[in-house]
Amino acid sequence: MEEFRYIPKSELFKCSVDLPGARKFFVWDGVPDGLPLKEAPALDVSASFEVSSRMERMVYPVSLEDVPQKAVEIIPEEGTLTQVISVRVSPSLVFGRVRIVCQKPGNYAVVLCSHTTGQERFSTREIVEVSVSGGARLDLVAMQNENSLSAHKSDFRLKIEEDSSLKMNIITLHAGNVSNRIHSLLSGKKAECWLNGLYLEDGEQIIDTDVTLVHNAPECLSRQLFKGILSGHSRSRFTGEVVVSPAGQKTEAYQANNNLLVSDDARASSDPHLVIYADDVKCSHGSTAGSVGDQELFYMRSRGISESEARILQQQAFAAAVLEQVSREELRERLSCLVERRLRGENTVCAACGRGCC
Amino acid sequence: MENLLEIKNLHARIGDKEILKGINLTIKPGEVHTIMGRNGSGKSTLSAILAGNSNYTVTQGSITYQGRDLLKMSPEERSWAGIFLGFQYPVEIPGVTNVNFMRTAVNEHRKQKGLPPLSAAEYLKLMREKMAYVEMDPSFSSRGVNVGFSGGEKKRNEVFQMAMLSPLLAILDETDSGLDVDALRIVANGVNRLKTKDNAFVVITHYQRLLDYIVPDVVHVLYKGRIVKTAGKELAAEVEAHGYDEFE
Ligand SMILES: Nc1ncnc2c1ncn2[C@@H]1O[C@H](COP(=O)(O)OP(=O)(O)OP(=O)(O)O)[C@@H](O)[C@H]1O
Ligand SMILES: [Mg+2]
Repeated sequence: MEEFRYIPKSELFKCSVDLPGARKFFVWDGVPDGLPLKEAPALDVSASFEVSSRMERMVYPVSLEDVPQKAVEIIPEEGTLTQVISVRVSPSLVFGRVRIVCQKPGNYAVVLCSHTTGQERFSTREIVEVSVSGGARLDLVAMQNENSLSAHKSDFRLKIEEDSSLKMNIITLHAGNVSNRIHSLLSGKKAECWLNGLYLEDGEQIIDTDVTLVHNAPECLSRQLFKGILSGHSRSRFTGEVVVSPAGQKTEAYQANNNLLVSDDARASSDPHLVIYADDVKCSHGSTAGSVGDQELFYMRSRGISESEARILQQQAFAAAVLEQVSREELRERLSCLVERRLRGENTVCAACGRGCC
Repeated sequence: MENLLEIKNLHARIGDKEILKGINLTIKPGEVHTIMGRNGSGKSTLSAILAGNSNYTVTQGSITYQGRDLLKMSPEERSWAGIFLGFQYPVEIPGVTNVNFMRTAVNEHRKQKGLPPLSAAEYLKLMREKMAYVEMDPSFSSRGVNVGFSGGEKKRNEVFQMAMLSPLLAILDETDSGLDVDALRIVANGVNRLKTKDNAFVVITHYQRLLDYIVPDVVHVLYKGRIVKTAGKELAAEVEAHGYDEFE
């Protein structure tokens, strides 16, 4: 592959996690370095269906913003990890668009790393389109690690067709103000969508997660697990809607949002809900917000584990449920290590490089 | 010989309820003490205070451990100094594996002694050896701490942790409750293997049968927050035969 051997001109791209054998793409303020932007129509993730009992035609989503005509197009290779390193240099990116397409049977893996190049205020607005079809199984990790002045608004539009599967993990290590809007459509029989999120917040950070997931075909599976660890004055807002259309017989859908409030001033709000128009389905949803248990803490301290170490153990345990969902071992270990360092209040800069990407 | 622990006129309460009303107790290295007493008499309260549980307020008296003021030490400092409490109700910690939990504990202890942390291989070797003390299956190590453990398995896990930390003063709060006869013998043998001339044990129990395996030097009866009688091993049999009415 051309881009695999491609060596970027800028020093700024030097920072990369050493993921052996990964194919690397470099994106500079939304424009691929060394490759052209591709013109492509917007991915259609809308669904509309009749609900006979209500004599009504339902449309999801109600409206979608237009997307730029051109996109950074990523066609992953079977069995190889693809890493997209996206660098922000100018303070404002109005609209970036990344398009990931997997159409053939096999296992695919993509990691998206977005990072800023300095401590000034960056504002990013981007769309990530993911289309999985033809029996493909894609593992996608989106890493978000930016400075506390940054504002990042992402729209993930996901379409999973017959017999295909997408597992997406969004790991927000650090950021200022993040909004992750996810719209996912299961459009063919036996499609699967796993959405996992882990967000670590402190200071004045705000993270919004807004998921709409539509089952519009029979025998599909969706599982969502979003977990947050909040300290300082940080805020998290989660809204999640799972829609099962009349075509979605034998649907299995689970959604959960759990938050660990580490400080008294952190706040989490959570609103998961289900809208079901089919009768033969298994669905559940729930949310919890808890704090670190005093009894557990005392038990650990009585074994000589200092209070700060005990809190980190508990937080790591809480995060583990999401990190375990990352299927590629090298990536999972890398992420667990970054999460641990972040929980310890160390910089999440990897040892190999001088900057805070993933 | 110098005292390991000296409790003088200890009064303590939880909320505004006074539970301990003047405890006096002296323990020397190499001794095994047994405390018996009715439900609610304050045995677990005394244990919790020794381990540093801040839910209880000490209103009077003092505790000296190895010449130090114990009440000024945090729970972790007490552990580093050699105090171990086997909990009557061991706590479940979902998501933290037994192996991570104990490795962190062992390495924190080593750090205090100026020793480097154990490597994964060294730790596993030590762990296997100590698990064998209590005939615990190594598969427990990858499970969440006490999560889904049966009552008896939790108690074995307490003795395993004790073996890992080799304490100088171990307080076992009803470690025998809920154990079947075989487990009782295994746990008692585990305790006996750890016994040296330098460390001491406080064994809290309701049953004389444990004392067939772990032979105490003294037996105390705790009644309504006070130690009302101290005698030799025969006191346990007496209590079991006649109950606590005579102390009214
Ligand atoms: N949080 C609490 N609030 C009020 N009272 C409490 C609290 N914790 C303990 N107590 C009371 O303190 C008294 C002593 O309790 P403790 O657990 O020390 O008894 P014990 O001797 O260990 O009993 P057992 O043999 O049943 O284990 C009891 O009457 C108990 O109800
Ligand atoms: Mg008790």
